[in-house]
Amino acid sequence: MAETGAGIPPKDIFVIVPAHNEGEVLAATLKPLLQASYSVVVVDDGSKDGTWQILAKMPVYALRHPVNLGQGAALQTGMTFALRKGARFLAHFDADGQHRPQDIAALLEPVANGEADVALGSRFLRSLDEREVPLGRRIILKTAIVVNALLTGLWLSDAHNGLRVLSREAAAQIHLRENGYAHASEIMIQIRHLKLRIAERPVRVHYSRYTRAKGQSLWNAFNIVIDLLLRRVFK
Amino acid sequence: MKLIQLILIPSILIFMVIYFRRFRTLLVDRLLVLGLCLVTAALVVRPEWSVVLAKALGVGRGVDLLFYLGFVGVSFFCLMLWSKQRDLDARLTEIARTQAMDRARDPQA
Repeated sequence: MAETGAGIPPKDIFVIVPAHNEGEVLAATLKPLLQASYSVVVVDDGSKDGTWQILAKMPVYALRHPVNLGQGAALQTGMTFALRKGARFLAHFDADGQHRPQDIAALLEPVANGEADVALGSRFLRSLDEREVPLGRRIILKTAIVVNALLTGLWLSDAHNGLRVLSREAAAQIHLRENGYAHASEIMIQIRHLKLRIAERPVRVHYSRYTRAKGQSLWNAFNIVIDLLLRRVFK
Repeated sequence: MKLIQLILIPSILIFMVIYFRRFRTLLVDRLLVLGLCLVTAALVVRPEWSVVLAKALGVGRGVDLLFYLGFVGVSFFCLMLWSKQRDLDARLTEIARTQAMDRARDPQA
């Protein structure tokens, strides 16, 4: 089995893929991850479109929530499971095909060499990556960076990128309680609270018609902020 | 007795009977509901008392005072329901997570 650039066997890297009604694209998303020999954990978050049946044909760890709980809950289920299976490194990877599998290796590097506990993907570190982001989404994301900084105290170049790599030790300390999309800010709050070291690395996000339809609306972003503020009041 | 009082007083009584027979809540909750019902009934029978109270608090009109108190009460109730909802969500999540892990399929399967 080939090692990654950081000298880590790919089987030690558990890629967690939360999936809710992603049957249309899931096989295509998982194929390159399996070709790279990563250990893939897919958490079917109560899908009703045959996602679970598709997983039956694939060599992945497959878990299924009996009801739809949200992406944050699916990620936490996947992380808890991966830690039990002995994962050394954990990667978060969206099921809709927006991420490039080769970016995992770039994020793994600072974590594997001990420079960081958590590596976060960013669409705004390279101009060629930034140009891929549609204008409307760019405005929402840039606003989210400011709101995220006010809520979490962390100034990042990209606030809501789903591609992350965590060390085993970091993942074991993090526990996501925000079941929905607010987990993306919650994880930052916990990273800051736990004083974990962060590294940002450039990644490319592919915007297809499918990923755009699955993406966050402005109204959803507003709901996330309300959720986080209420969570702060009622800890 | 006015028609509105004939409607509201039995309504409050019916609410109290349903609450105390059907809901097994804490003693403090029961006392709060009892107090709220008695105050409401008193204000239905003697609406001028709300004016006296409003003037004493500097609000002016009794209806304004009741509106403000109603707003605070509804807001508090919403937050309480939201908090309970979160608690239930957390329990459901734990159950679903445990089941998902117990029934996980390995790649070799």
